[in-house]
Amino acid sequence: MEPVDLTAALGPVLGDRLLGVEAFPRSAGRIRFERSGALDLFRAVRDSLGFRHLSMVGGIDWTDHREVFYVVWSDDRREYLFLSTDVPADDPHVESASGIWPSANWHEREAWELVGIEFDHHPDLRHLLTPDGYEFRPLLRSFKLHEPEELEVKTRHV
Amino acid sequence: MSEMWINMGPQHPMTHGLWNLRVLIDGEMIVDVDPEMGYLHRGIEKISEDRHYNEVITLMDRCCYVAGFAWEHLYIIASEEALHLEPPERAQYLRVLCDEFQRIASHLMWYAAFVQDLGLMSPFLYGMRDRDLVLDLFQSYTGARMTYEYMRVGGVRSDLPPGFTDHARKVLDWLTDRFVEYDQLCLGSDIFRKRCDDLGTLKATDCVTHGVTGPMLRSAGQKRDLRKDRPYAVYDQLEFDVALADSADVTGRYLVRMEEMRQSVRLLRQVLDWLDRHPGPVLADRLPRWLGAPYAPVGKEGYLLKRNYPKGVGFSAVEEPHGEAQAYVVNEGGEHPYRVKFRSPVFANISAARQYLVGYHVADIPPIMGSVDVCVGEVDR
Amino acid sequence: MSTITLYSVSYDLASVLLGALGSILPGGARAAITSADVVTGLSVLIFGVILLAASMLNTILLIWWERKLLGRFMDRRGAMHVGYAGLLQNFADGFKLFRKDTVRPREADPLGFLTGPTAYMVTSMVIFGILPISTGWNSGALPLSLLLALAIFSFAPLFIFVSAWSSNNKYSLMGGMRSAAQMIAYEVPLLLAVVAVVIVSGSFSLTTIVTEQQNYWYWGPLVLALIVFVAAMLAEMERIPFDLPEAEAELVEGWNTEYGGMLFAFFMLADYLRALVGSILVVLLFLGGWTMPSWVPSAATSFPLAGIVWFMIKTYLVFGVFVWIRASLPRVRTDQLLRVGWNRMIPLSLLAVFLAAALVIVKCLPVFGCLPSVGG
Repeated sequence: MEPVDLTAALGPVLGDRLLGVEAFPRSAGRIRFERSGALDLFRAVRDSLGFRHLSMVGGIDWTDHREVFYVVWSDDRREYLFLSTDVPADDPHVESASGIWPSANWHEREAWELVGIEFDHHPDLRHLLTPDGYEFRPLLRSFKLHEPEELEVKTRHV
Repeated sequence: MSEMWINMGPQHPMTHGLWNLRVLIDGEMIVDVDPEMGYLHRGIEKISEDRHYNEVITLMDRCCYVAGFAWEHLYIIASEEALHLEPPERAQYLRVLCDEFQRIASHLMWYAAFVQDLGLMSPFLYGMRDRDLVLDLFQSYTGARMTYEYMRVGGVRSDLPPGFTDHARKVLDWLTDRFVEYDQLCLGSDIFRKRCDDLGTLKATDCVTHGVTGPMLRSAGQKRDLRKDRPYAVYDQLEFDVALADSADVTGRYLVRMEEMRQSVRLLRQVLDWLDRHPGPVLADRLPRWLGAPYAPVGKEGYLLKRNYPKGVGFSAVEEPHGEAQAYVVNEGGEHPYRVKFRSPVFANISAARQYLVGYHVADIPPIMGSVDVCVGEVDR
Repeated sequence: MSTITLYSVSYDLASVLLGALGSILPGGARAAITSADVVTGLSVLIFGVILLAASMLNTILLIWWERKLLGRFMDRRGAMHVGYAGLLQNFADGFKLFRKDTVRPREADPLGFLTGPTAYMVTSMVIFGILPISTGWNSGALPLSLLLALAIFSFAPLFIFVSAWSSNNKYSLMGGMRSAAQMIAYEVPLLLAVVAVVIVSGSFSLTTIVTEQQNYWYWGPLVLALIVFVAAMLAEMERIPFDLPEAEAELVEGWNTEYGGMLFAFFMLADYLRALVGSILVVLLFLGGWTMPSWVPSAATSFPLAGIVWFMIKTYLVFGVFVWIRASLPRVRTDQLLRVGWNRMIPLSLLAVFLAAALVIVKCLPVFGCLPSVGG
């Protein structure tokens, strides 16, 4: 599937919330979209384009903003498709995809706790890899490996 | 009888790793499950942001202790793409050799653990014994049995030692005979069939909905194998079949994995023949110095030779023994990757635990989770 | 030549000991100490000590035998380093367990937690006082020894359940429940299989049952009862494929999850004691006990204590079969186990009883005496 086809298929659904379609290695392309059109895009990608399998959800911290990306796979076309949207760092909210792809559940929990993306209407946004109540977002650039945060470790034998 | 939660883990014989399966049981029946991960989270994605491209390979081995090569390969493909590098062909074949032997080693490890969960004691030892033969092969050309650090961005570290291919063929012959024995021990046993048939069923549509891949998906009859669908390395030049079953249960996953091992043997014979006939370089010759160095330089200066490396992104998807692994590497110039993101197949497979566990007996948890082939290292990363 | 029996050995030992003691004592004390009552009393004590030592020693040897056999089945060697071929390994293990602390969970019930394993151990050992090993080597020809042995044998689920419940651990409780359900379910076919033997032999005394097998061993005519008995015994001994109560894959260690040190050793020893009892019962009821077929050269059957030697060989071979089963079969599930128990084993055992009765009525038993491989 060529980027041109993707634009033709998704343009009518998203309108100006479709920011662009670009080539991406080993996949049909990368769709950049406005976060307000997330659910419409997900639905269109799943139902009309046939990308029924969500492989992963992740976040990237670009310091001034954060990027949320989704990788989906179509069994009919045998190819991947990247979806990506930017969210401002001070308001990192995006609609949860887990209503459309249930497999997004855990990936979004991970992206939430590690990159600090807030997924609205997520059914079960709990800590997955880090302990409950862990307030740091380790995959943010501001979390420096060489300047460890002071953590108060509570042990029973003081 | 009232319901109660029990914690199967983090230290529990069923888990094969460090995780916790919380199970709500009513008598002996499973009412609900809630997997808790994170006991083995080492922050590999974060550490990778602070490492040179070749240094990340060390971490990849630690991602999954039974499938180190698959994860090395996964990362290498993505970072070569991000760095615009092309490995020589012999290196590609060597990587396939590593991948397929790793698949056999991983599946043998799975076999051992799975039959142990069922209470079969002897095959456990047989699986471990035969896996050791494969590990011996790894040791002969990488020097390590589990953490290899063999692949490099732009190739592989070193060529095979003399006499390796003959030795490897002997191991393959031995394994082919053993596979027959394994099947007799498992499929030939009525108790095995009674325990595993129609157990932990997950239909293909549910697999797709919940992101389940690998042998679990193929056991549901869906023909999906990245080695065929999106061939990487040199898989498009090799002949093999995709292992399939249609029962979508534990027996199906067993059949798929056993068949995959046979197909791996078939692939490996082709690869070994090719390697015998085509000597050549194993590392790309035009590499930036810090990438070409076989060992990490000691001095700080050694790292900083090239700062303005052209930007790029790399994405790779590899058919790991457990399923479909993906890597996303962002290169913003400079010597470290800007962001590395991995997708672990087991992560998705476990996240669907509720779909294939609820409604069965407590005694069914070990075989079902065994058939999922959990590797916690790559789930938590 | 009078035959050597367990009583004669202990009586002789007692009189030798007391005689030696009396020879260094003054006259009055000597007379008191060598009186018949004292000698008899001491001989009973020695009798008990011999039984205890023999059962313990055999249990430990049985564990060694299982470890070596399992090792061979699994393409490895088993215990190798302590003693010749690892013979002393289990003593070392036992010593290690003996030196360990007894750790009791805070929430556990102290009384049940401690008495459970002890009672389990004790009841398993008591059976040894009843089982005859050879002619004269038993604690008296009790007319109902078979019934008594099986009655004590079936105490076990009670104590397992007590210790499991008082551990206050969910896994222990589930293991205890499974154990009770399983043992009760398999008690019935076990006893029915025994009834078949009783019908054919016409006696509840183990000694009589063995002497009745002088001409033909019962495994020939009662092969169905033997199969039922062995399967039910596997369940009673909680060995693979019926080791669900301690299915380690899902229940950690089942009902003994919370036990460590010597209390765990009690469970372990009692388990193997029961395994030994099970093997001995198979030998006594179906394999002719200490008797040997007539085609065995008489030199091999007439030397002193030959009965014991043959008996032990048979017992260890039977246990070897149990180990073989353990090495090659997976574990069944609780519901499958109970379904097999109630739906298959009980009808089969009833059939075995009817067959035995039919054999006795039509008087075709002596036919089996003609088959040399069967015995006689």
